[in-house]
Amino acid sequence: MSAERVLFVFVLIVAAGFFSLNVQRLVQYLRRGRDDHRLDHPARRLWNVLRIGIAQAKILRDPVAGPMHAGIFWGFLVLTAGTVELIVQGIVPGFTYARFLPRPVYLAYSASQDAFAALVLAAVAFAFFRRLVLHPRRLDGDKTHHGDAYFILGMIGGLMVTLLAMFAFDGAANPGALGPEKFVSRPLAALLAGVAPATAASVAHTSWWLHVLLVLFFLNYLPYSKHLHVVTSLFNVFFSNTSGPGQKGVMKAMDLEADVEQFGANDVAQLTWKNLLDGYSCTECGRCTAACPANITGKPLSPRKVVINTRQRLMESVGGLPLVQEHAATAVDERHLLDDYITEDELWACTSCRACVQECPVSIDQLEIINEMRRYLVLSESRFPEELQPAFESMERNGSPWAFSPADRGKWAEGLDIPTMAEAFAAGRRPQVLYWVGCMGSFDDRAKKTTVAFARILKACGIDFAILGQEESCHGDPARRMGNEYLYQMLARNAIETLDRYQVRTIVTACPHCFHQLGNEFPQLGGMYEVIHHSTFIERLLEEGRVPLQTEEGQALTVAYHDSCYLGRYNDVYDAPRETIRRALPIAKLVEPERSRDRGLCCGAGGGRMWMEERTGKRINAERTEELLATGADTIAVACPFCMTMMADSVKSREADARVVDIAEVVADRLAPG
Amino acid sequence: MKIAVCIKRVPDMESRFKIAANGVSIDETGLKFDISDFDAYAVEVALQINEKAGSGETTVICLGPDVVQETIRKALSMGADKGVQLKADSVPADSLAIAKALAAELKDGGYELILFGKHSLDAMTGGAGTMVAELLGLPCLTAASKLEISGSKAVARRELEGAAEMLEFPLPAVVTIDEGIARPRYPSLKGIMAAKKKPLEVKGAQLGEVRVIVEKMELPAERPPGRIIGTGPDAVPELVRLLQTEAKVL
Repeated sequence: MSAERVLFVFVLIVAAGFFSLNVQRLVQYLRRGRDDHRLDHPARRLWNVLRIGIAQAKILRDPVAGPMHAGIFWGFLVLTAGTVELIVQGIVPGFTYARFLPRPVYLAYSASQDAFAALVLAAVAFAFFRRLVLHPRRLDGDKTHHGDAYFILGMIGGLMVTLLAMFAFDGAANPGALGPEKFVSRPLAALLAGVAPATAASVAHTSWWLHVLLVLFFLNYLPYSKHLHVVTSLFNVFFSNTSGPGQKGVMKAMDLEADVEQFGANDVAQLTWKNLLDGYSCTECGRCTAACPANITGKPLSPRKVVINTRQRLMESVGGLPLVQEHAATAVDERHLLDDYITEDELWACTSCRACVQECPVSIDQLEIINEMRRYLVLSESRFPEELQPAFESMERNGSPWAFSPADRGKWAEGLDIPTMAEAFAAGRRPQVLYWVGCMGSFDDRAKKTTVAFARILKACGIDFAILGQEESCHGDPARRMGNEYLYQMLARNAIETLDRYQVRTIVTACPHCFHQLGNEFPQLGGMYEVIHHSTFIERLLEEGRVPLQTEEGQALTVAYHDSCYLGRYNDVYDAPRETIRRALPIAKLVEPERSRDRGLCCGAGGGRMWMEERTGKRINAERTEELLATGADTIAVACPFCMTMMADSVKSREADARVVDIAEVVADRLAPG
Repeated sequence: MKIAVCIKRVPDMESRFKIAANGVSIDETGLKFDISDFDAYAVEVALQINEKAGSGETTVICLGPDVVQETIRKALSMGADKGVQLKADSVPADSLAIAKALAAELKDGGYELILFGKHSLDAMTGGAGTMVAELLGLPCLTAASKLEISGSKAVARRELEGAAEMLEFPLPAVVTIDEGIARPRYPSLKGIMAAKKKPLEVKGAQLGEVRVIVEKMELPAERPPGRIIGTGPDAVPELVRLLQTEAKVL
């Protein structure tokens, strides 16, 4: 064995050994986090890896950076085959896949190396151009690591240059060796025709060394860089639940009887290992923060910062790899993720709209970290904006986050001949459908109009339904979103008891928050019901031709539909409300705001923000209303009482000439008389 | 500092009240109960005093049937150290009887400060605090909106109509607490869990003779609904007639 081969094998062993040592360390650090079972539904998880990871489905949501990244990523996948070949060559001189691959396959492989080397080089050039000239805003802020990005891009460029140089000089040294399949390196070799073959051969050999050394250095640099995502993101996508398996956006029930020192998370040790893996997987692209309604309107929250901080604090607390870490003034054990990295104000600014989660190309769950930290604040320290206390107390005392008398809950139905479950049961009937009205729908004057409109539709279609009336009580979702899991579970169990007493099976509701809570989160506590949002329910009735509509054309409205987060991003209901409007009022013109469907901007009321003052920056509902009015719409349609309040307030405050209506009102207005 | 806070369990005032079949009490079915607001302020004041001092003990005392243990636990979950239930079948309407029972418990407790809400939200007599002070021979200060402790002395602020007064008094003393003094904290789950393990002593209430009793309880008369008698000038004569004959205001 030649000295050179010995040297190469030695370098290879050292590099691989050091890398695997660092990988073991990183895995060890993850064990600091809490357990979380993430191996269920392996087929679905693999599908996520294929779709989101390999096919880059979420990366490609950005029409500029998407193809660029996909080019580099796919290039890397293809070129890795070549890298393996090159490394084996270092051990077995003259090794080539041609030895065992059928010729056409080998030619295709050979061509692919040229093609993707050129493609990656072009993508890297564009990445430099984008960062230096186009300068996208989302790459800034949160003390992101620009230097790290340039270094990595430079290395990737260097890898491609050395690869192509090796091909080209190889070609120059052995004229005629390169076939037409080497469509990039052959012309390059032709340019080098004047170079002496011996010189060319030695440059090619040097390029091989440089390339292979760069590969090994790159590999070992990753654990010290935000580009660790190269190693972790496919795993992260596999273990993530943000695109399923299971219902999206579900907060997991806490064991409140657990004998623990504290509830929720104020440091990385109370987060799950998956939350920590999220930290490894973030490459600071900023898509989450760019989509965050709080951040857009000048609040202190940045979902990207939450994830970066999680990674930094983990590395600090374990004394681990300096994975783009910052140096702190105080002692490590005196510091926590909460307060020392992430402030209360950041956490309370979140509207839980899920836009960050939706955008993350590597399926990071920023919201889960935020929610766990809110839980700590409320359950362990009772620290929250003071406006929340009356809401908590009212939920506890009155079964509604607002201080209305529970006795008035069914008042909207007076004189409308709508039975309560109690009345129906007393008369020996068992209604097929329960209309869950919700707190907004029961007490808020504007929302009550939607409630009545939907009830009129149900009656006009001859649906056998009832309400709970005074027996309805908040299911606790606002408390859960605000971190008060204790109050939530108390209220939820109480609501389940009521529903089960009437053997309820099917529930309709006009509130997306009730819809999500009853349908998706109640099963955790044993409440199993088929829950249908009124948009879907009305759309089905319309489709079946069961809604007696007027024959006149009606008003030719220009309608902009505003997507509710809990209906859209949480439950993928985008078409039903739009289709409802189209069917009920065919001459209406539906227009879409710039941010719509799964990119829709939150109204600002979710995540308990409804009960908090909005003191910093621009009001989220103003931002959203401006966007909706910019479509030229004369009508803003909503399918959520919270969105209704936010949009109506903003339209009113700017004295805009537009109406805000619920989709149920659009349909109820079109009901034939009688 | 050893502080006692006397608290009361009261129904939520947002409720729709009904008179019970006996005609002398409210019907408690469906009502939610909680610690009386002013008493919650008093608990908060006690907790803040001891937190500021870095030591001390806060005991909450509540008179009534076993359901009041829930109210005591609420105060314990806020951070009070121990609870005492003075067991009685019901809370009598006689403030002096209540005061005597409380004084018997407080007398040998070695408390340096005894706090009350300025009055309960339901009965609103405001009597128990002042009577306890009298029975124990302690200085009494009512409706404090601010309370500062310095050594064996205290300074309290009282809001008057268009003014405020600052009063100094020696400890031990009885102070009743007005609103606005401190926002009662929301118990954390940690606090709720800890409260389950805190000591709660049950003793018989030494009420003695109860001389004031409720003879009858009634709801305020319902206001008659508004009536539209017409619109425009044509309705004016009828309106004037009704204002003279029915409302008798003209």
